Amino acid sequence: MKILSVLLRIEWLKAVKRRSFWVAVAAFAVFTALPAVERVRNAHSDPNAVFALPESWPDILGTAAGIGPLFVGVLMILLVAPEFSWRTARQNVIDGLSKERFYAGKVMLLAGLVLFFMATTVLIGVGGALLSPGAGGPGFVRSSDFGYMSGLALAMLVFGSAGLFLSALVRSSGSALGILFLYLFVEEGVARLMSGAGREALRSAAEFLPFNVVEDLGDDLAHYPEVLAEVNADRAERSLALLEFPDVEVLAVAALAYSAFLLGISLLNMRKRDL
Amino acid sequence: MHPIQTFDLTKRYGTRAAKSVLAVDRIAFAVAEGQVFGFLGPNGSGKTTTIGMLVGTIKPTSGRFRLFGASGPKGLMAARARVGATLETPNFYPYMSGRDNLRVAAAVKGVGRPRIDECLELVGLSDRAKHRFNTYSLGMKQRLALAATMLNDPELIILDEPANGLDPQGIREIREIIRILAERGKTIFLSSHLLAEVERTCSHVAIIRKGRIVTWGAVAEVVGEGSAVLLRAPDTEALAGAMEAYPDSTSVRRTDDGIVATLDSGDLASVTRYLSGQGVHLSHLAPYRPSLEEVFIDVTQGAVDSMTEIAS
Repeated sequence: MKILSVLLRIEWLKAVKRRSFWVAVAAFAVFTALPAVERVRNAHSDPNAVFALPESWPDILGTAAGIGPLFVGVLMILLVAPEFSWRTARQNVIDGLSKERFYAGKVMLLAGLVLFFMATTVLIGVGGALLSPGAGGPGFVRSSDFGYMSGLALAMLVFGSAGLFLSALVRSSGSALGILFLYLFVEEGVARLMSGAGREALRSAAEFLPFNVVEDLGDDLAHYPEVLAEVNADRAERSLALLEFPDVEVLAVAALAYSAFLLGISLLNMRKRDL
Repeated sequence: MHPIQTFDLTKRYGTRAAKSVLAVDRIAFAVAEGQVFGFLGPNGSGKTTTIGMLVGTIKPTSGRFRLFGASGPKGLMAARARVGATLETPNFYPYMSGRDNLRVAAAVKGVGRPRIDECLELVGLSDRAKHRFNTYSLGMKQRLALAATMLNDPELIILDEPANGLDPQGIREIREIIRILAERGKTIFLSSHLLAEVERTCSHVAIIRKGRIVTWGAVAEVVGEGSAVLLRAPDTEALAGAMEAYPDSTSVRRTDDGIVATLDSGDLASVTRYLSGQGVHLSHLAPYRPSLEEVFIDVTQGAVDSMTEIAS
C-alpha cells in the first residue's frame, strides 16, 4: 500500500506542475460549463426552462462526452510520452522504481484523470443546479444517470488506455498524437464501409469498433430508453430509419476488454524494451 | 564485499545476426568498496550500455552481474536502493524546479525533505532550487544530477560522463564534489572521456574498447608504473633499433623526449650493459611513467584506426 501512495504522490506532482494539464482541464471545464451557464441564464429568465438535477444530467454528461474521452487520451499522451524523450522514465527506474511500478504509476494517473474529469463534470452539474431557480424531481442521481456516468467514465478509460499504449509504444508525444488522430479518421471510414456492407455480421461488428463503442457509451440515447423511444417515434413519423444501440452492458464489457488489451500490451512492451 | 562484479556480461542489440550489434562483449571486472573507479573508452565502446545494465534500464543478453553480492531480480532491486546513479545527460522534468525534481527522486528513494536541502547545499544549488530546470546551465544540471544521486546517501555512486560539456570551472566543481564523496568512503564508478581528470580522481580504471575490457586494475598498474624506461642517446635511430631487438623489452616507441621502452624485468643495469655491447652509449636512462592518456590511446588505437578508416 505504501508504494501505491508513493506512486500517486509522484504522478500527482508531475501532473500538477505541468501547464498542459491545467490548460486541458480548464478547456474541458469551459467547454462543459458553457452550455450549463446558458441554461442557468435561461432558467432565470424563463420559468419553463428549468435547470435542475437529476433531470439535467443527460445534458451535462452529453456535453462532457463530446470531448472528455478525447481530452483524457490526449492528456495521457502529453503527460506520459515525454517521460521517454526526456528520459525521466529511465531516471525513475535508475532511482529505484521497477519498470512495472513505473507503469503502475501511469495506470494510476489514467484512473486519476478519469476521476478528475468526471468530478469536474459533476461539479459543473451541481453548481449549475444550485445557481438555478426551481427544483428537480426526487433524488440527486437516477440509476440511468449513474449508468450514463459510468459509461462516460469507461469511454474516457478507453481513450486514456489508447493514449498510454501509444505513449509506451512510440515514446514521442507528437507521433503518438498523430497516430491517435489518424486512427480515429481511419476507423470512421472503416466503420462507414462496414455499416454500408450488405452482410449483417459486418454491420454488427462495426458497432463494436473501439471508437464506436466509445461514442455509443457517451450517447445519452444508449442510456435512456425512454428518450430513445421518443426520438424513434419522431423518426418513424418522418419515415427515417430507427436508431438502435447495443445493450449498455455489452458496450461496457467491450470497453473494458479494449482497455485491458491496450494496457496489457503496454505493460508487455514496457517490460520487454530497454529504457 | 564488492559493490560491483560482472561475469561475462554481454549485450547484443537486434536479433538478426547480420544487423545485430554486439555492444558489450563478455566483460568481467570488479569494483571494490571505497574505490574511485574510472570506466574509460572511446565513443560507442559500450560504457553507457554497461552502466545501463548495472542500473536496470537495459536487459543483458547473457552473462550476469552482482551489486553488493546480489544477482536475482529481488536482490538487485534491494541492492539498487544502495546505489545512486545518472546515465548520460542529466534527466529531469524541464518544467519543474530543481527542488521539485529532487522531490520526485526523493519520493522514489523514500527520503524526506531535509535530505533534499542537504544535497542542494552540498552541490551549491540552494539559491537556484526554486528555478525551473530548463533555465539551468549545463553545469547546474550536472550538479543537480549529482544531488539526486546522493539523496539516499548511497554507498555506490555511478556517474556517466559527469563532466561532459562543462567548462574548466564546472569540471573543477564536479571534481571537488567527487573528492568529498570519496573522502566520505563512497564507492564511485565514473565513466569519462576526460582522462586527465580520471587519472587525477580515480584509484582504479577499466578501459573498454569495442565492447571488451582491454585492461583494468589500479591506475598505477594500468599505466605500467615501474616497468617502462625513458632512454636517450646521441644516435636515436641506433638506440631504437637496439631496444627493439632487446629480448626483455615488450614495446618500444619514439616520443619527443626520446625512446620509451617497456621492460619485462625492469633490470636497468642489464639494459646499459646490453646497449654498451651494441655500441650505443646512453645520455639518459630513467624510469618512465606514461600518462593514462598515453595508455588509453595505446590500447584503444585499433578503435581509433578503424574510425579513421570509416571516416575516410
